[in-house]
Amino acid sequence: MKTKIILVLLAAAALYAVQPAQAHHAFAAEYDVDKPVELKGILTKMEWVNPHGWIYMDVKQPDGTSKHWTVETSGPNQMSRRGLKKADFSDGMTLVVKGYQGKKDPELANGRTLVLPDGRSFYIGSVGGPNDGADR
Amino acid sequence: MNLTGLRFPVIVPFMKCFRHRHAAGALVLVAASLLVGCAAPAPEQQPPPPADPPFRPVATIREVMNSVIDPSIDVVWNSVKTVIDNGTTDHAPAADEDWAEVRRHALIVSEAANLLMMHNRPVAPPGAPSLAPGVELTPEEIRALIDKNPEGWNFYVQQLQDSLKPALAAIDKKDSQALFDVGEKIDETCENCHSVFWYPNAVASSK
Repeated sequence: MKTKIILVLLAAAALYAVQPAQAHHAFAAEYDVDKPVELKGILTKMEWVNPHGWIYMDVKQPDGTSKHWTVETSGPNQMSRRGLKKADFSDGMTLVVKGYQGKKDPELANGRTLVLPDGRSFYIGSVGGPNDGADR
Repeated sequence: MNLTGLRFPVIVPFMKCFRHRHAAGALVLVAASLLVGCAAPAPEQQPPPPADPPFRPVATIREVMNSVIDPSIDVVWNSVKTVIDNGTTDHAPAADEDWAEVRRHALIVSEAANLLMMHNRPVAPPGAPSLAPGVELTPEEIRALIDKNPEGWNFYVQQLQDSLKPALAAIDKKDSQALFDVGEKIDETCENCHSVFWYPNAVASSK
């Protein structure tokens, strides 16, 4: 019984360890509009969840190493209305994401556009983002 | 003036006791005035001022958000999701206990909204800073906005409560798709309120 409780606690701790902060803040509080990023990498995980989706991807660096990025997207229903479906994602696919880098976490970004391997491009920006034309 | 001809037979014998008829006439007028005065309705009593509500806030609004609302709404949001990770896995409440757990957290958020509407709850401890200086207001500035527009504050908080109603209905029907779909509306009510009271200037600057 004691072992079971410890396992449950460890599982809960692991869950919270990988989940980005969920508190509701202004876009500019978390992301830097002066630091646009373009990420090309391999999808390792996608969470199709409210209130925002999350893309996890490995991005190869010029020196051959890899960085693990987390990208916040808009809500899943917003993405669906723009034609992007959860069935469009599969782990291991190559994605290109444009967005803005996090202020506190340098490997966190807020996604603005997503390009799938078949060339289709979608707006995935959150409410309150900069007026950069990505949603047109 | 012959007072014996008056129509008040009870008063007339009484008045005959007076030797001066003018004095007797004045007495009649006074008595009549007293009778009229007694017949008039009594002035309305002012109701006592309402007593202060017995609520005693312990936590600040920031603490209610971080300790009550955020953790519970995350349970509601995370209860239905799809994870693409070595395949695709759909998550949704299945057993009765799962649905009961989600309902409990939806109710916590619904009722916690009432805590936010208690007018004497501070936004944050005295002197606490903005959580995002330059983007989000200080607690004092937020308090000033709420005090300036309490009806607006209550409106947005009630919008949050209202957004939970379809979630509760979906939970009661054990309809995971409906619960997933209402998640966007709940977040929208959060954003609507925060953009007015927490970061009104950030919204303006991003457009």
